[in-house]
Amino acid sequence: MEEYPHPKIPALVDDFKSEKLGRREFLRFATLLGLSASAAYSIAGIAMPMGAKADDMPKGGNLRIGMRCMEIKDPHLADFAERSNVIRQVCEYLTFTDRNNITHPYLLEKWEASDDLKTWILHVRKDVKWHKGKPLTADDVVWNLKRVCDPAIGSSMLGLFTGYLVEEYDTGEKDSAGNAKKSSRLWSDKAIEKVDDYTVRLNCSSPQIAVPEHLFHYPMFILDPEEKGSFGPGANGTGPFEMTEFTVGKNAKYKARTDYWGTGPYLDTFEFVDLGDNPGAGIAAVASKQVDGLSEADAVQINSMKNFPHVAVYKVETTQTIVARMHPDNDLFKDKRVRQAMRFAIDREKVIQTSLLGAGTPAEDHHVAPSHPEYAALPKYPRDIEKAKKLLADAGFPDGFETDMVTRPDPIWELNTAQVLAEQFKDIGVKVNIKSLPSAQYWEVWTKAPFSLTAWGHRPLAVMTLSLAYRSNAAWNESNYSNPEFDKLLTEAEGILDPKQRSVVMAKIEGIMQDDGPIVQPFWRIFSTVIDKKVKGFELHPSQYIFAHQYAIVQA
Amino acid sequence: MTRFLCKRLIMMMVTMLCASFLVFAVCEFSPGSVARKSLGPFATQQQVDLLSKKLRATDPLPVRYSRWLGVLLGLIPDPLQAPDSGLNFNDPRGAQYFGNFGYSTLNKLPVNDVIWNRLKNTAVLAGLAFALIVPLSIIFGILSGLKEGGALDRFLSVICITFTSIPEFASGVFLVTLFVILWPLLPGTSQLDPGSGWSIPSQLVLPVAVLVIYDFGYVARMIRVSMIGVMERPFIRTAVLKGMNTRQVIFGHALRNAMIAPFTVLLLQINFLVSGVVVTELVFAYPGFGRLLLDASLFGDIATLEAATLVTVAIAVTTQLVGDLGYMLLDPRIRVK
Repeated sequence: MEEYPHPKIPALVDDFKSEKLGRREFLRFATLLGLSASAAYSIAGIAMPMGAKADDMPKGGNLRIGMRCMEIKDPHLADFAERSNVIRQVCEYLTFTDRNNITHPYLLEKWEASDDLKTWILHVRKDVKWHKGKPLTADDVVWNLKRVCDPAIGSSMLGLFTGYLVEEYDTGEKDSAGNAKKSSRLWSDKAIEKVDDYTVRLNCSSPQIAVPEHLFHYPMFILDPEEKGSFGPGANGTGPFEMTEFTVGKNAKYKARTDYWGTGPYLDTFEFVDLGDNPGAGIAAVASKQVDGLSEADAVQINSMKNFPHVAVYKVETTQTIVARMHPDNDLFKDKRVRQAMRFAIDREKVIQTSLLGAGTPAEDHHVAPSHPEYAALPKYPRDIEKAKKLLADAGFPDGFETDMVTRPDPIWELNTAQVLAEQFKDIGVKVNIKSLPSAQYWEVWTKAPFSLTAWGHRPLAVMTLSLAYRSNAAWNESNYSNPEFDKLLTEAEGILDPKQRSVVMAKIEGIMQDDGPIVQPFWRIFSTVIDKKVKGFELHPSQYIFAHQYAIVQA
Repeated sequence: MTRFLCKRLIMMMVTMLCASFLVFAVCEFSPGSVARKSLGPFATQQQVDLLSKKLRATDPLPVRYSRWLGVLLGLIPDPLQAPDSGLNFNDPRGAQYFGNFGYSTLNKLPVNDVIWNRLKNTAVLAGLAFALIVPLSIIFGILSGLKEGGALDRFLSVICITFTSIPEFASGVFLVTLFVILWPLLPGTSQLDPGSGWSIPSQLVLPVAVLVIYDFGYVARMIRVSMIGVMERPFIRTAVLKGMNTRQVIFGHALRNAMIAPFTVLLLQINFLVSGVVVTELVFAYPGFGRLLLDASLFGDIATLEAATLVTVAIAVTTQLVGDLGYMLLDPRIRVK
C-alpha cells in the first residue's frame, strides 16, 4: 500500500474509483492535500499533461509581447494581471496553479496538511538561489507571508488570509462618523512559524483547504526582504529573468538568467511593449510583426487577426465574469423579490452574443462556475419577463423604477455588457442609466454605488471568490451582502473534504445566492489571445499570466 | 522694441501663472484622490489616508500651490524627496534647483526625466508634419484662390474638405489597413523602438501622414480665402494691366499680402500639433507628449500635468510672439509703438 501524504487521500481515491468523485475534482483535491501531480494523474489513469521537453526547445532570441505597462508600487500590492506579469518574470510564487487548475509546489518542494486542515507545513526547495547569489530560506518566506498580513502594507492577500491566519479586531478608536475603527492582525504570534531553515509552518485558526492556491494569488510574490518591497530594474528575485529596463507606458525589458534553478528560460531576452489603450494599435503591431503576440485580445481583435497567416489564436475557458450587483441595504433593492426580478429579466445567450461576440458561457447568478470543483448543478431558469414583472409588482414597484448603474468604459466588453443589460432591464420596466466612470474614478466608488457592474478575475476555487466578495464585512464585499446563514455554510464548505457532503453544502450556498443574493451574473468569459506561430511552448493561462521562461522561438 | 519684448515676456509669465493655478484648482475639484489612484482599488482606506498624508495632499490648495511654485523656482527643497517621507522619491539633480517640476506619482520618476523625452518625440512628429503642411497648404491655397469657382478650385476644394473632414482615428485605421495589412510596406505602430524590426523613419510615415491629411486642407482653405480677397484688389489689377506675367503677380504682389491672415492660422497649428495630437499618438501607440498629458490627467498626476501645462502655455505664447514679429516682416505698416 502506498504511503499517502494525507490521511484523507485514500478516501478520495476510493470515491474516485467508485465514481462518486469526478476526475477533475479528484486531481484538484488530492494535489491540494499534498499528493504529487504525477502520482495523482497516475491514480486517475491518465497521462500528466507535460510541456515540451527542455532539450527539444530551441534556444535564444528575443520575444516581444504587447501589454500595458502600468506603474508598480510594490509587488505585494499587485492588483491587475498586467502588473503581476511584469513582476512575474523576476519574482516567483511558492506554488503554481496550472491552466487545468491543478496546484503544484513551485518554490516549495512539497507541503503537508494536517488531518483537520489547520496546520500546513511548507517545505522550501533547497536548490533555489536569488539572482544576487544567496539561497532562498524559510526566513525569506516567513518575512513575505507576515508582510502581506500587515494592514499598513495593504496587500489583497490580507482578505484571503482573513478567517484562518488573520483576524479582525476593534482598535478601540472611533472614526469621524463615530463607528468603531477595525483593523487586522495575525490571529496568533505563532500563526506563521519558522520550523528550520527550510521549513515553515502555518498554524491556522480554522480549517482551510485552499492554502496552496492562495499562495499562488497574484500579489503573493516571494521578495527579497532586503529590498523592502521595492521593485524596478535590477530588483532581486528567484525568477528566470532579470529586469533591465522599465518605463511606465512604454516597455519592460528582461535578460535571461544563466543560473536559474528551474527549467528554462530558453529566450535570451524578453520584452513587454505597451501599445496603449487603443485596440487598433494591438492589431496593427501584430500585423507588422512589431510584437510577437498580445497578452490578451478581445473578440473584436481576434476577429480581425484570425486570418493573419503568421499568428495562432489561443482560447481558454475561465471563471472571469462580470456581475451587476445590488446593495441589499438600498431602498430599491432591499426586497429580495426585486433582486430576483432582475435575474429573471436577462437573456444570457443574447448578452453573450452581443457583448462578447459569443466568447462566453452562461452563468447562473451564484458565482460558482461549472469548471470549479465545488460546483453543484442547480436547475437552470430562462428569461421570464412576466414572472419578473410580477415579482416587481409584489415588491411594490408595479411600474418598475429608474436607477443609475456605475460601470467603466474599458475594456470595451464591460461597457457593451452594461448596455445590453440596460436594454433587457427596460423590458421589465426598470430604466437603467449607465454611468460610465474612468477606471481610476470607478475604483473610488466600486463598493459604494448602490448598483454597479464589476468584473471579477479568474480564481481556481469558487470558495475563494465567495469569501472575498460575499462574506459579511469581507474587504472586497462590494455588494454589502450580509447573510449569517451564507457565512456559516461558506465556512463549513471551506473545511469539508468529502465531495458529496460538500456538494450538498455548495448547493445550499448557490441556492441562497439565486434566491436572496445580490448579483445578476450573465456569463463566464472565454479568454483569448494571438501569438506568432514561431513561438513554442506558449499556453494560455486562464488568469492571464505570462510565463516567459516556458516560451522559445523557432528560428526560421 | 526692447520694451515691447519685455512687456510680452511679463505677459507670458502672468499667463503661465494663471494657467498653472487653474490646473491646480481643476485637479482639486476632480473626483478621486491621487493616493487611491496610486494604490489601486483594493487598498484599505487606512492605507489611502496614510499615503495622502505622505504626499501632503491633505494641505489646503493655496498651501500646496505655493509649495509647488517654491519648488519650481528652487526656493525650497521638494518635501516629497526628503528621505524620511517614506516615498522613496529620489531626483539625481537634488531636491532644490531652479526648474524642479517635482516628482511624477504616475511614473515614479522626476518629471524632468519624463517630459522632455516625450516632448522631443512629439516635436519630431509635429515638426515633420508642419514641414509638409506649410508648403502643401500654400500650394493648394494659392492654386485654388487664383480663380474662384474655376475647375481647379473646385477640384482642390473637394480634396481639402474631404481630407479635413476625416477624423484622425478614421484615416489612421484606413491607412493601417491599406499599408500594413493589405500591402505590408509600413509598420502599424510607431513606438520609436528600433528593436521592433522597422527603422525609425519608416515608423514615422503613417502618423505624419495622418496629421498632414487632417490638417493641411483646413489651412489651405484659409489661404484660399485670403488669396481670393487679394486677387480682387486694385493693385493686382494694375499689375496685370501693366503687363506683368502671372508668376510675377503672384510672387511679387499677391502672396505676401495673402499670407498675413493665414500666418496666424499656421502658427496656431504648432500649438495643435504639440498638445492636440493625442488621437494620432493613441492610434499608433506613439510615445508622445499628448499621451503623457492624457495619462497624467486621468491619473491625477499633478506634477506632470503642471509641467506639461507650463510647456504648452509657453509654446502658445511664444508662437503668438513669433506671429506678431512675423506680421511686421510681412506688413511694414505694422509698427511697434
